[in-house]
Amino acid sequence: MKPRWLVLLSLVTILGMLATACGSATPEVVEKTVVVTKEVVKEVQVTKIVQGKTVTEIVTATPPPPEEVTLKIWIMPNGPDPLGAIQTEIDEFEKLHPNIRIEAEVLDWGSAWSKITTAATSGEGPDISQLGTTWVAAIAAMGALRPFTAEEIAAMGGAENFVEASWQTCNPVGSGFTVAVPWFVDTRAIIYRKDVLEKVGLDPDEAFATWDTFDAALARIKEAKEAGEVETYPIGFPGKNDWNVLHNFAPWVWGAGGEMLNPGNTAAVFNSPEAIEGFKFYASLFTKGYTPPDVLELNSAQVDGMFPSGEVAMIISGPWMVKNSRTPEDKGGFAGSVAAENFAVHEIPAGPAGRFTFVGGSDLTVWNSSKHQEEAVEFVKFLVSKESQIRYGGNIGMLPAVKEALADPTFKDDPDYGVFVQAVGHGKSYPAIAAWGPIESAMVKNLGALWDDVAGVNGPFDPDTMIPARLDAAKQEVDALLAAGGG
Amino acid sequence: MATSTWRPARRNGLWQRIRKHRFAYLLTAPTALAMLGVHFIPTLLAFYMSFLRLNQFTLGRFLRAPFVGLANYALIFSSRNNALVAGINNAARNTLIYAVAVNVGTLGIGIVLALLLNRRFRGRGIARTLMLLPWVVPTYVVGMLWGMMWLRDRGIINTILVDWLHLLSQKPFWLIGRNTLWAIIIPTIWRQLPFNTIMLLSGLQMVPEDLYDASAIDGASAWQQFWYITLPLLKPVVAIVLLWGAIFTFFGYNIVIMMFGNGGGFPGEWGDLLMPAIQRQSFGYWMFGLGSAVSILMMLVMMLFVGIWYRVFRVSLIQE
Repeated sequence: MKPRWLVLLSLVTILGMLATACGSATPEVVEKTVVVTKEVVKEVQVTKIVQGKTVTEIVTATPPPPEEVTLKIWIMPNGPDPLGAIQTEIDEFEKLHPNIRIEAEVLDWGSAWSKITTAATSGEGPDISQLGTTWVAAIAAMGALRPFTAEEIAAMGGAENFVEASWQTCNPVGSGFTVAVPWFVDTRAIIYRKDVLEKVGLDPDEAFATWDTFDAALARIKEAKEAGEVETYPIGFPGKNDWNVLHNFAPWVWGAGGEMLNPGNTAAVFNSPEAIEGFKFYASLFTKGYTPPDVLELNSAQVDGMFPSGEVAMIISGPWMVKNSRTPEDKGGFAGSVAAENFAVHEIPAGPAGRFTFVGGSDLTVWNSSKHQEEAVEFVKFLVSKESQIRYGGNIGMLPAVKEALADPTFKDDPDYGVFVQAVGHGKSYPAIAAWGPIESAMVKNLGALWDDVAGVNGPFDPDTMIPARLDAAKQEVDALLAAGGG
Repeated sequence: MATSTWRPARRNGLWQRIRKHRFAYLLTAPTALAMLGVHFIPTLLAFYMSFLRLNQFTLGRFLRAPFVGLANYALIFSSRNNALVAGINNAARNTLIYAVAVNVGTLGIGIVLALLLNRRFRGRGIARTLMLLPWVVPTYVVGMLWGMMWLRDRGIINTILVDWLHLLSQKPFWLIGRNTLWAIIIPTIWRQLPFNTIMLLSGLQMVPEDLYDASAIDGASAWQQFWYITLPLLKPVVAIVLLWGAIFTFFGYNIVIMMFGNGGGFPGEWGDLLMPAIQRQSFGYWMFGLGSAVSILMMLVMMLFVGIWYRVFRVSLIQE
């Protein structure tokens, strides 16, 4: 990985040098008009290349007025009002920097990938862009991202100021560069109905302690539903017709002691005996009848909807559900409903190897093609400042990526957001390698096929043979992708 | 062949003909240039790309990416167990069934509907307008809408089939397992039917009335009239509709992609079609050379089909 990176970067640098050299090598007549006014007069050292020779001279000049600069930022549809939320930040920023104007464009997640890769290859990108955490390494490998300097990172509070799992995604493995800065965090926890657990006599802390107690708790709710004591199914989660297929499995795989790739990121190891236990446990939650019977054909949004409607006692979802539970119905939330009044959050139960949850979200990047990189960095600095992080995170229903902001009472001391903040501490993200995007596509396909097996499409589901078979096939594909075996 | 008939005089003739119709060429030039830009050049580029190792690491070099000859084509055909093309055979099988079922369905139902709408009855205008409605729904919306309607316990289709009509004893899954094939065929027929019906209806209106009158005097039954008059005269329209339908289904993408997880999910081993599979496993895997190779192969298959289609319908098309 390293040599490729170096070659790419040095290529970009050399090209840049050539371009600037060519630009200034044309002989020019410089007229110096020094107007002495009452303003501050400064001495400026100017180095020019005139006909191939470097000439340095001291020029006295008045400081130029700050140049009017317009920056373009690409973001994704974050939260219920993507443009409104970013405009709030832009307005605040423009108050501090009157010479910088920022134009935001919202890309759709579906088309964003092709638009961003096109920009990366053509060199005509935005100044700043939001990138999904798993995309950063790939776009960086295309040479499109400007690395942040040590001073800039220090000015943003240093690496320690950011959530570890997010920070990791900003530093592509083997590159030695920080090409992005974490913006916000998406993590998963269990959202449950206090009243249902109470009614069946379960203590949440015990019910969500380990896999075994979790299994017992779900069995208890199922029993209670069959006896007519409660109306909800124990839990809901989507199957193959969804975009979160891998994120849904990941906490259980990690909790079982499994990993996605080997330490050198050269081969898949998700078919190890430990990992298989994780896949088995999660699939067993369906086969044991803890979910509504049709859950495997639904997508995440539809499953999220089963919680407010009172169909299920719990779902595994993200911080946006907290916001939804406090947003009135006419604005797309479910405040005031039974589910909202009994809304509670708990971390995902600990597996044999510990407690883990998926951490995703988005990072901010400055593009090499930007003509105003300094100003772009200024805006990034502003977006990761504590106040902006708290405000923006709250507006879009995601967690801040800056620890300072996470520790703010708005999040940390909130009974619901607070649990997500804790969960971030047990968060894990995927390896920050350029090939991760393709690997995720391959996993969504193969795990989708696994959900079909679980649903009984290919005969009665036998976890001991069917799960390893699907994972072995997935490993073959992922290994081929890691070897970049095709063109 | 060209060299044996080539003579200088002929060249002059061609030039003169161009000069003679200069205005016509001038008028068609913008279109020709645009077509060259949006169709021909990209196709040529794709053809060249199919010989390159064009993945995420070499994409920056685009057409100067390493030339690997037929390696991408070899990858497709080399071994059945090649992981990178795993599942393409399922997609090919589904596409074949999908294309045949949709085209037979739209053509069959389309002719029946066109015959009905060709009769004179009260409210015919309204009926014709209503019939057009599915066609104004964009295909990706069709995918999303039917994706909701097919849901086992919360979709309208099972409610109609099981709860109201009692046609089935229990509610089946449509979006999981083998039924997914039906779940994509039926909405496609629904979406494509108006186009076929309108085309066939316009064909029917061109059949001269007196042919029916004359045959009625000769004692032809309604079935004989349909078989010996209507159908042969509809043949050119059927040809166009069939070509259109074949292209539409062979390159089918939107409905399938939107129905299973709004573009993020996997349609499954019985719902996957060639286009979504290629998109996922070449462009989704960032192997653009491989993707171009598969696309070129698909184009060749489609050209073969068009060749056969032309041979079959040549006579009736020329008569038209």
